[in-house]
Amino acid sequence: MQRAIERRGIPSVSISVALDVTEHVKPPRAIFVPFMMGHHFGVPFHIELQRRVILAALEHLVKAEQSGEIVRLPVTWAQARREGIAIEQALGMRK
Amino acid sequence: MMDSSKNPPAEEGQLRPGLWQTVNERYPGSMIHKADYVPLARLSKPLSESKLTFVSTAGVQPKGTMPFDVVHPVGDYSFRYVPSDAKISELEIHQLKYPTDGATRDLNVIFPIKRLQELAAEGVLGGLTKNFFSFIGYNMDPERLERTLAEDIAEAVVLQKSDLALLSPA
Repeated sequence: MQRAIERRGIPSVSISVALDVTEHVKPPRAIFVPFMMGHHFGVPFHIELQRRVILAALEHLVKAEQSGEIVRLPVTWAQARREGIAIEQALGMRK
Repeated sequence: MMDSSKNPPAEEGQLRPGLWQTVNERYPGSMIHKADYVPLARLSKPLSESKLTFVSTAGVQPKGTMPFDVVHPVGDYSFRYVPSDAKISELEIHQLKYPTDGATRDLNVIFPIKRLQELAAEGVLGGLTKNFFSFIGYNMDPERLERTLAEDIAEAVVLQKSDLALLSPA
C-alpha cells in the first residue's frame, strides 16, 4: 500500500514493529520501534514518546536518500513501559 | 530532533531469518516478498506547509460506521474514512489480531490522532487531510489487497490532496 502511495508521487513513511515483515515488503521508508504489536506509538499517556515516534518518522521522510531505508529508533519496550507506569502513577491512575 | 541509528548491515538484519518461510508453508501466499524498491517521491514544500494523511491497519473506525468483518476467512478488503478532527470518544476499534490493552486506555498508542492534531495546531505540520484512512490488517490474500484495497486507498490519498503519508501497519 505504501508503495502504491509513493508511486503516485506522495512521500510516505511507516512505523514498523515487525522488522522481518518490513524487510520483505520493502516500503520506501520505515522506522522500526521494538514495541509490542498494537503499540506502535508507545504506551498510554506517554505524550512525549508518542510525539517522538511521529517526529522521528517525519524526520526520516524528509531526510531519507535511499528507498527501503529503515531507521531504528534507539528505544526499548521495557524502558517505554517503565516510563509509562511512572506517568500513570504521577497522574494518580496507578498506585 | 533525535539521533536515530541507521540500518545495520544485512547479516544483522532479521532476528530469525527462517521464520518467514514457515509462515508461508502453513499459509501459502499469505506473505508478500518484494525484490525491488519503489523510487522515492520528494516533499515539495516544508513540513510546516504540508498536509499529512494517516493510514492505519488498526481497525479504528467512527462509531456508527459498518464494523469491519473481523471473522471473514480471508479478511475484509474495505476501508473507512476517519475524520482527522474526530475526538477519540467518537472512535472505536474492530479487529482481533493485535493486543489492544494499550489502545483501549489511550487510542494514541496505535492511532495517534490527538498527537497529529497537536502537531498541526503547533505548526510543525501545515495541516491534516480532512480524512484519515483505516482498514484491518487481517487479510490473507495479499495479492488481492495489493490489486484492490491498496490502489483504492492510494487513489483516495491523492484525492484528499495529501502532501505526505504516515502509515501504521498494526
